[in-house]
Amino acid sequence: MTAIRTERGLQGIAVALTAAAAVIGVSCRRQPAAPSAAGADSKVTELGSIEVTARLVEIPEGAIFKREMYDYATVLKYQVLEVHRGDVSEETIYIGHYNPFKPRSEAADRRVEGIGGNLEVFRAGQMHRMALEVPIDDYFMGGIVNKYFGRFEGPIYWAVWTDEAGE
Amino acid sequence: MSFTSHAFLFYFLPGALVVYHLTPRRPPALRKTALLVLSYFFYAWLDPRLVLLLLATTVVNHRLVVWMARSSAERVRARWLAASLIINLGVLAFFKYAVFILEALDPLLQLSAFPGPRFEIALRAGISFFTFKIISYTIDVHRGEPPARSFLDLAVYIAFFPQLLSGPIQRFGTIDRKAERAASFAAQLESLPGAVPRLSFGAALFILGFAKKVLLADVLGKVADAAFSAAAPGTFDAWFGALAYSLQIYIDFSAYSEMAIGVGHLLGLECPRNFNAPCLATGFTDFWRRWHISLSSWFRDYLYVALGGNRKGAARSYLNLVIVFLLCGLWHGARWTFVAWGIYHGLFLLLERSRGRRTLYAVLPRAAQVAVTFLLVTVGWVFFRSETLTDAFLYIAAMFTPKEPAGGSLLLDSLLYTRTHLLVMASGLLLVFQPVQAADWAQKVTRARAVLLVFLFCISILTLFTQSFRSFLYFQF
Amino acid sequence: MSHLPPPNILLVGGFLAAIASVGASQALVALIEGEGPRVAPLLTGVPSAARVRAFESDLEESSWLARRLRPWAQSLRFSLLREMGDDVVPGRDGWLFYRPSVRYLVEPWPGHRDGLEGSIVSAIAAFRDDLAARGVRMLLVLAPNKASIYPDRLSRRADAVAAVVHDGTLSVIARLRALGIEVVDLFSVFETARRRAEPVDGGRGIAAELYYLGQDSHWSPPGVRLAAAAVARRLLDLGWVERGEAEYALKESRVQRTGDLLRMVRVESIEQSFEPEAFQALQVVDAVTAVPYRDDPGSTVLVIGDSFLRIYSQEDPGAGGLVAHMARELRLPLSSLVSDGGGATLIRQTLSRKPTLLAGRSVVVWEFAERDIRFAMEGWPVVRLR
Repeated sequence: MTAIRTERGLQGIAVALTAAAAVIGVSCRRQPAAPSAAGADSKVTELGSIEVTARLVEIPEGAIFKREMYDYATVLKYQVLEVHRGDVSEETIYIGHYNPFKPRSEAADRRVEGIGGNLEVFRAGQMHRMALEVPIDDYFMGGIVNKYFGRFEGPIYWAVWTDEAGE
Repeated sequence: MSFTSHAFLFYFLPGALVVYHLTPRRPPALRKTALLVLSYFFYAWLDPRLVLLLLATTVVNHRLVVWMARSSAERVRARWLAASLIINLGVLAFFKYAVFILEALDPLLQLSAFPGPRFEIALRAGISFFTFKIISYTIDVHRGEPPARSFLDLAVYIAFFPQLLSGPIQRFGTIDRKAERAASFAAQLESLPGAVPRLSFGAALFILGFAKKVLLADVLGKVADAAFSAAAPGTFDAWFGALAYSLQIYIDFSAYSEMAIGVGHLLGLECPRNFNAPCLATGFTDFWRRWHISLSSWFRDYLYVALGGNRKGAARSYLNLVIVFLLCGLWHGARWTFVAWGIYHGLFLLLERSRGRRTLYAVLPRAAQVAVTFLLVTVGWVFFRSETLTDAFLYIAAMFTPKEPAGGSLLLDSLLYTRTHLLVMASGLLLVFQPVQAADWAQKVTRARAVLLVFLFCISILTLFTQSFRSFLYFQF
Repeated sequence: MSHLPPPNILLVGGFLAAIASVGASQALVALIEGEGPRVAPLLTGVPSAARVRAFESDLEESSWLARRLRPWAQSLRFSLLREMGDDVVPGRDGWLFYRPSVRYLVEPWPGHRDGLEGSIVSAIAAFRDDLAARGVRMLLVLAPNKASIYPDRLSRRADAVAAVVHDGTLSVIARLRALGIEVVDLFSVFETARRRAEPVDGGRGIAAELYYLGQDSHWSPPGVRLAAAAVARRLLDLGWVERGEAEYALKESRVQRTGDLLRMVRVESIEQSFEPEAFQALQVVDAVTAVPYRDDPGSTVLVIGDSFLRIYSQEDPGAGGLVAHMARELRLPLSSLVSDGGGATLIRQTLSRKPTLLAGRSVVVWEFAERDIRFAMEGWPVVRLR
């Protein structure tokens, strides 16, 4: 009887303790602060000279990485869905994001000030509402990781503010 | 999903335990289904396409075995067995050896001006292990064992997630008496409804394996990587690196096996032991009784015996031995270094066999025999670890030609002889040369052992948080 | 001990609590912060290995418990074992080294050495040719690995060695020179300077002047001056630049710096266990107005490179970096373009993207770190100037 009780006890513990983790499922990750009107907040609508909502087409392999010593901007490919402000004629544009391995709210530093947004993690397929400047070289002088180098003719935009606008 | 990954340890494992133990006990198919879904999810985590391969292989082999079992005519049964072997070995060859074969044929292809296909096969995690499980099943049925009661039973057996990536290569309806004390997998599967036995044994074994992997094997891997990557290591550096790899491969693989067996117990299924203190072996024959037992017994029962074993005279048995070990080397991967490693072991075994299973150094005291065997096995691991045969011979030359490090390798000591590395090397040596095996120690959980194990687990988890992820060595095979 | 539960319960309870701890703490934090569980990234779109890997990595990175415990565990490992993480190799006398740079020296180049060497040489030669087509000459400067110049500060075995230069580096330099590309050999400059310097520590080779910083991967102010003088001398010797008439003076400035290698560990307690390095740097200032040196965007000489240009220039004390000291040597204000960690390829891409940066130049001095020969960000593709 004792053995059976112990076994049931163990089973009870197993169920109780692991239930917590299982109920959680796979993860709890910070949700982006719910933006009004699909990503529109006071920053994204005011900063930069261009404002678009665009879909992140892909993240090329090795484009987003964490390197301890240096800071880079990474060029990502977007499909423009809506132009809210400014002039963007291309359907596909290339945008440089500063240190994209960081949540946008933590991306600004002493060297690159004034950037931000509520986007936590870059994922292919996401829609982003962004305040932009162009060309990137007028706003950021430093390492630009561009996996599309030589594969497009147009300018590279510089992401000032990046909010998540859905998936 | 690796057992030491964040996703497995903190999400999949607790989730799987809850799902499995909360699934109603009756009918048994419910729990089997739960186990199958969990296993497929586990495999899909590596690459969702892998599940399709696993499922297709299972369906095909299930049908072939059903047809084989229906017939009593030996010729027909043999035909179905041959079909199964061709398909399974074909899949294995395609996914694991296509690139190797094409590379080997490259000079001919170039001569013939035929460019040949160029492709890389990335989808091969676990394929050597589950293919060997399937082959053992089909051969066993051909030899007269009953087939699986249902497709579900066979699917669970093939996909059983604790064994899926690196074994042990458990059999379905039979047991290898050297490694197993419990009932066969098939019999255990039937008793699933009542099975919550020995959770504490499973937890203890999992913790011991986890600690060995995180605290020792991963660090030893860094030592070996540094030494084997050096351009011109000194003699001492080369030996230090080779010893580190020798310890790493045993501790890493045995840790995986212990964690697999531990998870099996947490799910109520016993898996066979895979190691029995191989570093205490007194010769190569003894070594293969203790090392990767489920693989060596597979080769013995399904290949060596099929080739005729010892039944066709001494010369033929020697040849069989070399063939078995050549294929054993090749099983580990499509590289000439694995073939060389297999032949290296095969030749030592042949030598011992020709002397009545006695080594050349059998006259030495037992401790000296153990030391000599360990060093010889360590030299063999150099082939296993090296990328190419040239690299292997250069490294062995560095081990056996007294010389100082040259050029930039002068600085190798800064990477090799750190406090952590020295501490871990010493701990590793102590661990592998003591006779008590984790599976024996974990049988009896006293209060002191329980406290020690929980403490060890916490320390190992803390260490996991601080270091970059390193996969198990045997995941590549 | 009698108040403790039976051993089996204790073990299984402890085990399950440990494996549930990360998920449970994550859920708790999410609840407190009003956030919800989220598996959407995994469930939307076609399942793929890449998607799963991204999710898994995110899961690990965002783990609240792991993030809280990691610094504590790292600090403990540092206290007990002097471990400083994956990127930093502790040397002697408190010196630290960047692991990729050490690996660069210790390891042979993987795979086909000729292929690697060939791609570097072709990329550099193509860049030189494109510049030449615009009437711009190119001078190449490889910033030596710290461990190349101070091997004895890393390993006792190198006590008797003045410098360790990877034979691959030497081979690349030789092949470039064979193609007529001018390369400044800073390795022998530093080695000679170290030999000349008076040993102050019984022949251990600890010179009165150190050319690299102990806790940083970059050169020290004396190292910068030495390199600047060598590069400027070469430009003058080649006749590519004529000494100008600008008058610069030097102004001493006390700098306190926490080295990049120390910052790389990213554990405050470990950082604090080292004293920041304090040293004198020399700012280049206008001899008349004492205004710190500033680049002239219209200069005929453009200096491009990586963080070896940035140090003491865009960081404290300012106007004390390689470009400022070269300008002082040449008595000529220069123009510069810096790409941290991208001195090999990213900087060439910038010039390709923005050719106006080359307008009016007659010389480009191109600096990159020695280890970039093997570990260059984005490798060594040929980048054509438009």
